[in-house]
Amino acid sequence: MVENRPFLSFLTHLVLIVGVVIVVFPVYLAFVASTHGNGDFLSGLVPLLPGPNLIENYRLMLTEGISTAGAPPLWIMLGNSLVIAIIIAVGKIAISLLSAYAIVFFKFPFRLLAFWIIFITLMLPVEVRIIPTFKVVADLGLLNSYVGLTLPLIASATATFLFRQFFLTIPDELMEAARVDGAGPLKFFRDILLPLSRTNIAALFVILFIYGWVQYLWPLLVTTDSRYYTVVMGIKRLAATADGEPQWHLVMAAVMLAMLPPVLVVIFMQRLFVKGLVETEK
Amino acid sequence: MATINLVDLKKNYGSVPAVKGINLSVKDGELIVLVGPSGCGKSTLLRMVAGLESVTSGRIEIAGRDVVKAEPAERDIAMVFQNYALYPHMTVRQNLEYGLKNRGTPREEIDRRVKEAADILEIGPMLDRKPRQLSGGQRQRVAMGRAIVREPAAFLFDEPLSNLDAKLRVQMRVEIRKLQRRLKTTSLYVTHDQLEAMTLADRLVVMNNGLVEQLGTPTEVYDRPATLFVAGFIGSPPMNLLSLESIAGAPGFEGLNLPDGTDVIGIRPDQLVLDQPTGQNLALAASVELLEPIGGESHLHVRLTGSNQAVILSVPGRPDIAEGAAVTLYARPADLHPFNRESGRRTDTAVANP
Repeated sequence: MVENRPFLSFLTHLVLIVGVVIVVFPVYLAFVASTHGNGDFLSGLVPLLPGPNLIENYRLMLTEGISTAGAPPLWIMLGNSLVIAIIIAVGKIAISLLSAYAIVFFKFPFRLLAFWIIFITLMLPVEVRIIPTFKVVADLGLLNSYVGLTLPLIASATATFLFRQFFLTIPDELMEAARVDGAGPLKFFRDILLPLSRTNIAALFVILFIYGWVQYLWPLLVTTDSRYYTVVMGIKRLAATADGEPQWHLVMAAVMLAMLPPVLVVIFMQRLFVKGLVETEK
Repeated sequence: MATINLVDLKKNYGSVPAVKGINLSVKDGELIVLVGPSGCGKSTLLRMVAGLESVTSGRIEIAGRDVVKAEPAERDIAMVFQNYALYPHMTVRQNLEYGLKNRGTPREEIDRRVKEAADILEIGPMLDRKPRQLSGGQRQRVAMGRAIVREPAAFLFDEPLSNLDAKLRVQMRVEIRKLQRRLKTTSLYVTHDQLEAMTLADRLVVMNNGLVEQLGTPTEVYDRPATLFVAGFIGSPPMNLLSLESIAGAPGFEGLNLPDGTDVIGIRPDQLVLDQPTGQNLALAASVELLEPIGGESHLHVRLTGSNQAVILSVPGRPDIAEGAAVTLYARPADLHPFNRESGRRTDTAVANP
């Protein structure tokens, strides 16, 4: 729909700008807050322009943290979050690829049942099964470990379902041609299916990385050792100081840092991500 | 180079039989075309030979070796698929090499064969392109190249030309024929296009309902169709099949001397003429319904006077005949094909008269 009417393009731009402002303003506010000093918020007026303490605040948070709130230096928490998000994304993709491959390309008894059982787990997100899951993880002695943090989050019906749909669009002849060409099941998977799924994998990686990064409830439950804190749950601890005002300028510095990695992942994988959603290489 | 023997080959899908016992022996270097309407089991048969479809009972021998239990890769065959089935993420070269690499062929040998196939098929300049950058005809060549580089005992073609437009199809048909002559590789070729079947085949297998209706050279099949089905399937426009009653009273009928059991007479459209030939002939009165000029010849749709049976004849040029006009059709006794409706078979000897 191409229309050349000045009023219309003014209106559309206005709507877009208002939308952007609504989304960006809180982020801007957080950034401004992270650049001010200790007492600047006690007056009750929120400053709208950046203050002079930018470097000081971020340095303090990254290297020392707020020990009175029981929060370790931010770089430890950022590191934990990064490790966990990557393990979850990679683990989910690996498992879903394999299970979708089995469901689509092999004929075995109860294949459909297997698919539906996987599919039904979509109805059971972490929050719903959190108590039994916690019990199992605790009994296995996995509290305060990366395994305990990631394993319950890895099995994924969504990704399995997406890969299944993609594999279903691959013509049977391709597999038959590969069979005639002497490629066994594993070779077919590695040489043909994986390269064809490349863009889908990239798109899923972005989504799943962010999913892993923003996990809050589960890390809160299974970690008591501050060495395994993730940044998203750490922010909560920073804000909840026992006595006195929260140190908002430091909390906001942590918030800004916590937002950074997902943004970077989206920016750098955007090209592949969009390709994966739009283009099919067939 | 090898022979292929199919012995009493059967395939059931559950309780539904798709192939009901096929016996066929393909000689070394021969190109056999399997032709039939869709659902006749021809593709299933080919896929069984390829090893992509399990065998319910019977034997498949390629180069004298029973391969029923063997994987497709172990059968020493190469297959060309209808939708080409090229690997979309690989370049043309990688597509050609893939099967050879999986077999652990040495590098120099791979390069030699790829170069040779590229020369034969004239796809040299495209070796580094991806399949999606190629046109339909070029993809078809690459698919054939992938079969050639393997230097297999047999080629299997599964309707390889049906995704191409009409002009390209004719061109590729000729090329496949030339290629097969040149390489002398035993080939099985499945198609539903009878023109493709007639022009390509050394021998033709006409299939219907999971059974072989007739096996013979294209001219044998055309000149002496063994069954009513073959008579109606091969030839365009199809053979006219007239019940005996509808022509019983026609002049010249008494002298025909038809074999016992004949109750259907087949006449090819091009063997019905409007001018009375010399010698013995059968004369049928009819009225013209429609004249279809198709260039060098015309198809004349008529109805026989009395029986009201529809008949098509092809006549040379563009005759000046008005619709509704009365005409007389003549046929020579030697051009009549006698059939029995009950058994569906010819009532005279199946082998052509000397």
